[in-house]
Amino acid sequence: MTKSCEEGARSPKKCVEPVLSVRDLVIDIVHEGRILRIIDAISFDIYSGEVIDLVGPSGCGKSTLLLTVARLRPKTSGHMSICGRDEQEMDGRSWRQSVVYVPQKATLIGGSVSDNLLIPWKFSCRKKVPAPKDDILRAGLDALGLRDVELDRDAKRLSGGQAARIALLRALVLKPPLLLLDEVDAALDDESAALVGAYVRSCAEAGQAFVRVRHRPPDGFATRRVYLAEGHITSARSDGADDSVERKL
Amino acid sequence: MIALRGSYEMGGVPEIGNIELLCAAGFMLVAGLVSYRSAMGLEKDIAISTLRAFVQLIALGFVLGWVFDNQSWEMVLLIMFIMVLNATQIARGRIKSCPSGITLQLFVSLLITSFTMVFLVVELIVKPELWYDARVVVGIFGMILGNAMSSSAVALDRTFSSLDARSDEVLALISLGATPLEAARPSIMSAVRAGMIPTLATLSAAGVVQIPGMMTGQVLAGADPLSAAKYQLVLLMAISATTTLCNIAVVRWCFRKRFSSDGYYLDSTLRGASRSR
Repeated sequence: MTKSCEEGARSPKKCVEPVLSVRDLVIDIVHEGRILRIIDAISFDIYSGEVIDLVGPSGCGKSTLLLTVARLRPKTSGHMSICGRDEQEMDGRSWRQSVVYVPQKATLIGGSVSDNLLIPWKFSCRKKVPAPKDDILRAGLDALGLRDVELDRDAKRLSGGQAARIALLRALVLKPPLLLLDEVDAALDDESAALVGAYVRSCAEAGQAFVRVRHRPPDGFATRRVYLAEGHITSARSDGADDSVERKL
Repeated sequence: MIALRGSYEMGGVPEIGNIELLCAAGFMLVAGLVSYRSAMGLEKDIAISTLRAFVQLIALGFVLGWVFDNQSWEMVLLIMFIMVLNATQIARGRIKSCPSGITLQLFVSLLITSFTMVFLVVELIVKPELWYDARVVVGIFGMILGNAMSSSAVALDRTFSSLDARSDEVLALISLGATPLEAARPSIMSAVRAGMIPTLATLSAAGVVQIPGMMTGQVLAGADPLSAAKYQLVLLMAISATTTLCNIAVVRWCFRKRFSSDGYYLDSTLRGASRSR
């Protein structure tokens, strides 16, 4: 992560280059012995402050695209850079500290809620980085509608919706420049999903960027929507008008 | 005093004749019939394994007889090397959902740990007149290697099955910045533990439930039981140490096969496609 982007995570104006730049990305998958091209030479940029909804029919490759951008699966060809740094300059783990993917299926390990939120600080890449204090974790839980969940509660006693928000908060407190959220609100009721949307938008306004795969109706918190179908993306308006249309919906 | 029936040859061990051998095979016939009647589907495995054991052990009897009479250090080392090759092939066959490219790691782990331990035991503790005395070296080596082979097969099988069962968790941990080792650690720990369970159970049961094979053999051959117990203790310690070291080495060396060079987990859809990036 470049210094400019670390600062950019707090102040979007300081990071002028795209957070993520993707050029001519091609992704082939092997399905029943046949090679299928599910992403066909797409290019796009994502800037800090953006909340992009990636929509499209089921099975069109949305999750595969997010996993590839997070370097959690291989691409066939193409080029990516994060905060101006070429992917070739970074190993996968360094890249994934800047681009954090949150899967739909929330995975919590044994221990308390606090233990789960602080898992990333047990990894060698963050040994020297101070872990967030309890008051920061508490504020995050409150913002996501988890006021009744204590930090020392056993993670096994959480509902599916609570676990989904804990898994999301675990990625949010890392404050990476780009977060890729793969249907993280699928297990939530409308009220909780709205709280999550609002919190994501507030984090974006503080300088982060988000891509959300969602199958819910537009919630008004996206700054633009991108459609993926048959290996190509088409972009909706990115001037904010889209946002107002979604709000009306 | 209870007198053992049958003839005594070869240092006091009661000789087993061909009819007695067929009787022993009859035990497996009963097991096969019960399996057939219970529709367990084990008859073929029982028949093949029994036949294989008969052929292998009788052949071993002939080979060892010849080796003991004509032994040289080169021949002893060659036999041990061939035993490790066989152990590698057998262990490899027991691992389900096994990634390619682990055979060399398995072979080297078995070779180094078993060779090192057998020479430590033989040269520091047993101290035979000939340092390569096949009666001592090959026998002890077989027992150490056999246990290391079985436990490393269990440990590797458990490593890959556990990683597959935890693939969602591994994906989540990797996406949060974990190294492959950090993401795989729970699987590695449970796998090494699983590989050690039979050895630890043998240690716990030794003397109170089970009289281990080597001690039984020595006592049957007329050795002092206390002396046989000491030999058995040495061997049990050597087996436990070797299985532990071999398990840790082979699992730590091979778990990475489930991860790409870029550090992401190779789930079933990605295996074989990890070269592109």
